[in-house]
Amino acid sequence: MGKLGTNSEEGLTDDAAIRTSGLGIVYNPGLFAAKKVGLSGLDMVVPRGSTFGYLGQNGAGKTSTIKILVGLQFQTSGEAWINGGNVLDAKSRRSVGFMPENPYFYEYLNAREALDFYGKLSGMDRASRTRRAEELISEFGLGHAKDTPLRNYSKGMRQRLGLAQAIIHDPPLVILDEPMSGLDPLGRRDIRNVILRLRDKGRTVFFSSHILSDVEEICDRVCVLNQGRKIAEGPLSTLLTGKVLEVKLSVSGLTPETAPKLENLAIRAWHDGLLYHVQVDSDEKAQLAKAKLEQAGGVLRSMEQHKESLEEYFVRVTGDPGAASALSPNPGGAIVEKITEATQKS
Amino acid sequence: MIVATLALNTFREAVRDKILYVLMIFGVLMILVSRAIGFVSIGSEAKVMTDLGLTSIWIFSGMVSIFIGTGLIYKEIDKCTIYTILSKPTERWQFIAGKYFGLLLTTFVNITILSAAFLGYLWICNAGISLALIQALVLTFIEMMIVTAIAIFFSSASTPILSAIFTTIIFFAGQMTKWVVDLGSSVKDTAPWVGKLLYGVYLFMPNLHNFNVRSEAVLATHDSLAIAISASEMWSCAIYGFSYTLALLLAAHLMFSRRNL
Repeated sequence: MGKLGTNSEEGLTDDAAIRTSGLGIVYNPGLFAAKKVGLSGLDMVVPRGSTFGYLGQNGAGKTSTIKILVGLQFQTSGEAWINGGNVLDAKSRRSVGFMPENPYFYEYLNAREALDFYGKLSGMDRASRTRRAEELISEFGLGHAKDTPLRNYSKGMRQRLGLAQAIIHDPPLVILDEPMSGLDPLGRRDIRNVILRLRDKGRTVFFSSHILSDVEEICDRVCVLNQGRKIAEGPLSTLLTGKVLEVKLSVSGLTPETAPKLENLAIRAWHDGLLYHVQVDSDEKAQLAKAKLEQAGGVLRSMEQHKESLEEYFVRVTGDPGAASALSPNPGGAIVEKITEATQKS
Repeated sequence: MIVATLALNTFREAVRDKILYVLMIFGVLMILVSRAIGFVSIGSEAKVMTDLGLTSIWIFSGMVSIFIGTGLIYKEIDKCTIYTILSKPTERWQFIAGKYFGLLLTTFVNITILSAAFLGYLWICNAGISLALIQALVLTFIEMMIVTAIAIFFSSASTPILSAIFTTIIFFAGQMTKWVVDLGSSVKDTAPWVGKLLYGVYLFMPNLHNFNVRSEAVLATHDSLAIAISASEMWSCAIYGFSYTLALLLAAHLMFSRRNL
């Protein structure tokens, strides 16, 4: 329960923004229902200044963890600290901003009143509240609706206001639960940009998401949960090995009839009416296939490397092929690197 | 500061609740029709007006506390508005206290408006206003402090419907504690365990009967300086009210402090 090492900056202790040790929660639904493990033995360190993605399928324990961190639920085992302060101490939440999934507000308030309310709860004085509310309303593009009751706000506007209330007191750590859930592409882009701005300001952003392509784009570290247990944690650059999974070669001047036989090399070969495509599973095979295709008269138009994406990594570590499709509503999370673009015309 | 912020917000929320206005309008209507009913009882118009007026203020203030109070905390959890509040450096006891004082402020405003209408109407009708009447109104407010705390207590652990049922039962049962203890005394020789049970109920239940000086106030309409109970009795009632309220709020906090949201 004691505080961890001292760090003088911003009066915070510990060099981790979030630290958990054996954190777990077991839900007891009642006398005659079985207990349910929400989270089990979570050891996790979120370094200060990182953008940290917290991943897992529905029911994996993401929201349970977040609720414990912000004082909405109580762990049944282990401990957790935020900026060195134990999460059971309400004071630890002075250095945290939190946006729940689908944030709800008092419908009769407008954006200015709502931000003023949350500023008061965060212990800000009147002048700071007014200045900060105006800043955030403008930054989040809510200026046109600042006097409109929140009941008339769209989902995207609520989400933006949810983020604004989380950072009203400019906390060093921001925790977001599914910040992009249910948003259209423009809404997602807005939230993504806010997270990137926070990252650029040196804030720690910890967020859970189902949208792996977004996580991959903005996070430098991730933690993956499966059925309440951590199965992977670390920097994305370490977790995603960069190994080439597939290479697609596209050539002109060949048809299925004139193309060379590549049985031992290609996973798949097809003609789309314009170009002849060959898919292989390694760089070495790609070079061999390229040589054979060119020997047969083909002109290489492109060679695309397909590296492991976060989505594929997720499927690999969770061992559930259905996991990624359940997680990410938008396909295309794969890293495709176009390495050769032929310049000759066929 | 946080308690005041939450209380003010609760008050703003409560004054947007249509049920408050419905109850206030009914309360004022009851006060206004009291004169018509008073005409029926020849020679006792002032007493009937006073009796009906005080009873209306009591019953409609109780209904405001019950119907608004029992949904307060449940609604915050159900609509998830509590997430953005408790994730700030807000202690759970501050949340309970904020909700309580916000509702108490609503009840105070309600009683003040109804009392102003009542006293104004008595004055217009030359019905006589006594100190006893003011005592009755002050005691009604102290009683509502307890009723509001009961509503918050149940709201912190149960659904609005169940909370409203429990609070209403205690609101009316609390008026009968004197009867309960009398009954217990009368059966203690024939059925000692029933006597003990009834005495236990008496100790546990809020003794709301203490705050009912409406009959005394009605009888004092002829004398503006007449009082219903002595100053020391008033103090006793106030101390009892504060203590019982504090105990209920502590119990509400204990139930809410480790609740997973």
